[in-house]
Amino acid sequence: MTTPRRGTAIWTHGRQKRVAVMSPQTRLAHSRRRERGRWRPPQLDRHDADRALMLYRRQLRGGAVALGLMLALLVFLPLSFALWPEMDEVRLSGIPVPWLLLAVLPYVVMVVLARWQLRRAERVESRGDR
Amino acid sequence: MVAVLAVTPVVLFTLLIGLRGVAAMRTTSDFLVASRRVSPLLNSAAVSGEYLSAASFLGVAGLVVKDGVGSMWYPVGFTAGYIAMLVLVAAPMRRSGALTVPDFAEARLASPALRRLAAVVVLVIGGLYLVPQFRTAGLVLSAVSQTPYWVGVVIAGTVVSATLALGGMRAATYVQAFQFFLKLLLFIVPAVWLLAQVNASDREAAMHPLDFTAFTRDTEMTVDVDVTLELVRETTVRAEGGGWTVLPPGELRMSSGGTLVFAEGSAVPDVRGGVTLGGPEWRRPLLDASADGHPLLGTWAVLVATMLGTMGLPHVLMRFHTSPDGRAARRTAAITVGLLSVFYLFPGIYGVLGSVLVPELYLSGATDTVVVALPAQVDDGWPGFLFTTLLTAGAFAAFLATSLGLLLVVSGAIAHDLIPGSLRTLRVTVLVSAAVVVLLALPCVRLDAGVLVTWGFTVAASTFCPLLVLGIWWARLTAAGAVSGVLAGLIASAGSIAMTLFGPPLTGVASILVSQPAPWSVPLAFAVMVLVSLSGRPPAWSRAAMLRLHLDEQHYSAGPRALGQPSHPTGAATRWSTVRRRIRHFVR
Repeated sequence: MTTPRRGTAIWTHGRQKRVAVMSPQTRLAHSRRRERGRWRPPQLDRHDADRALMLYRRQLRGGAVALGLMLALLVFLPLSFALWPEMDEVRLSGIPVPWLLLAVLPYVVMVVLARWQLRRAERVESRGDR
Repeated sequence: MVAVLAVTPVVLFTLLIGLRGVAAMRTTSDFLVASRRVSPLLNSAAVSGEYLSAASFLGVAGLVVKDGVGSMWYPVGFTAGYIAMLVLVAAPMRRSGALTVPDFAEARLASPALRRLAAVVVLVIGGLYLVPQFRTAGLVLSAVSQTPYWVGVVIAGTVVSATLALGGMRAATYVQAFQFFLKLLLFIVPAVWLLAQVNASDREAAMHPLDFTAFTRDTEMTVDVDVTLELVRETTVRAEGGGWTVLPPGELRMSSGGTLVFAEGSAVPDVRGGVTLGGPEWRRPLLDASADGHPLLGTWAVLVATMLGTMGLPHVLMRFHTSPDGRAARRTAAITVGLLSVFYLFPGIYGVLGSVLVPELYLSGATDTVVVALPAQVDDGWPGFLFTTLLTAGAFAAFLATSLGLLLVVSGAIAHDLIPGSLRTLRVTVLVSAAVVVLLALPCVRLDAGVLVTWGFTVAASTFCPLLVLGIWWARLTAAGAVSGVLAGLIASAGSIAMTLFGPPLTGVASILVSQPAPWSVPLAFAVMVLVSLSGRPPAWSRAAMLRLHLDEQHYSAGPRALGQPSHPTGAATRWSTVRRRIRHFVR
């Protein structure tokens, strides 16, 4: 899609069309207001639809794994605290181990998970390029 | 004095940036999403800045003192929400091109009714989330100075609405990105200082908490809110300026502004049926706020609400639209997980230290002020004063930032979805909404920030979470299904909250399921949405409407105009090189 530059005249159908000089942001907002209430059904051409379906499936599969790992942490960490209360007495340099597991471990896991999921999702999109 | 020193710079800076934003702002789109040209790093700092509210800065530490170490599950859920956001929502939501959740609802399902319903839900969530911000502002200001509660609430309301009405979201992006780093600094530096200052015996006591049954030193308690204590034994106390007297067992009523000193060795009065400070339940890493004996259920209920609720928070979702494209939105979510993880390493330190150093807050019920009360306990010279000021400034920055985003989204829902209007309508709406929230916050001083905010999360989890997840990942969703699912979730969650506030007190499992309805209201909303959708027929275009959300921008050939949103490839392309350079170390 071509975006008219500021103040550039565009020829369409052989005659000059006048374009108001405004920043891209402003044009964006104006066009949005005009298009309100003129809802049209979304359309995808065949090539786009195929690609979108491929991306959808791969992202769904990879995303389910990432989300599953996240849920596993949130289900099993409290569960292990509940099942092994004797862990409360174990200390690491004076600090009860469950306190450390609760205050530090989830964040480490989540940062690693976020990084992994981001790279995976971006790889799916860039591999699909070709 | 502390209040003036702390609040003035934060307010001035916020207003300054707000005013500078005015020059660049022309249209409703400029106002709402800073015309979508914000880089992932800046945007994720703004997301975190907006997200780290008074509930995170003050509330988590307060809940640790009040309900126990298990309260540290709250921030875990708050952060886990961004993993869910990253996986399920960020990129497709941005690619939908819609400005707000109501916009998205209409774009994906073409239902004006759903749009209006979503706007109403935005108002409910916004209200539940804004009220505790304003309330905590008033509480902290009255705790660090002699200001009455309502003055703090009114100051907060005035500053937030003035900034927004003048500068809009473009200003808010910079304000919030700046405020994230400010908050991080103002939270971490005092924490490290506190750890260094606390003497060895207090540190030892913090790591080996004992039941708080007798005062270990003469303890002064000032009450900001009326409170009734239950004296279990004869208690030696001293009123302000008076001598020691012995009170018989029984009820002791204290009205706001009153001060009482409990003598060393006298028994600690009972407060309410909750967890005993430092007791075995308090020490456990699970959440059993009302001591009902179901810690596992209580913990999971909070996790479900906070994790899934984050996905549906309208002011956070709107932030993703300021990213230039879907990829940048996804990166924003991922970086946000990292930024929040750093911040949330610290509330536990304040909470555990507070349980030892300021246990009287547990009695007075003002546990939300534990963070700002700590420095004065450790050092009564100028360093203590300095750090109290810094923490108050950080706390005020926290509720300013969150309130900015929330007010914007609330007034956006009114002026953009319910009564479509011009920029001026939007500005007037901001002022009116702020006034309404101030009025609502005045009688809410007794409710904990953490609890109120979690209710906001619960409503979001029961309404917008199923709408977004199914809207993005399930082509068969119909408008009728979405409307009935959102309605079911809204009625279930809001009804439960109303029952907790106004209904009879409950015990056991019922109490948890009514005060924390997320474990059943979220599945209910999903189920209703799926069943009603399956009984109807989706329109022919519904598959294309869903698949479109998963198509990366660089590969469009039909063009995203299909949903009424013009694309803006120039913005994405020019920004991309900087973005990539900045976050390379995180991604690679």
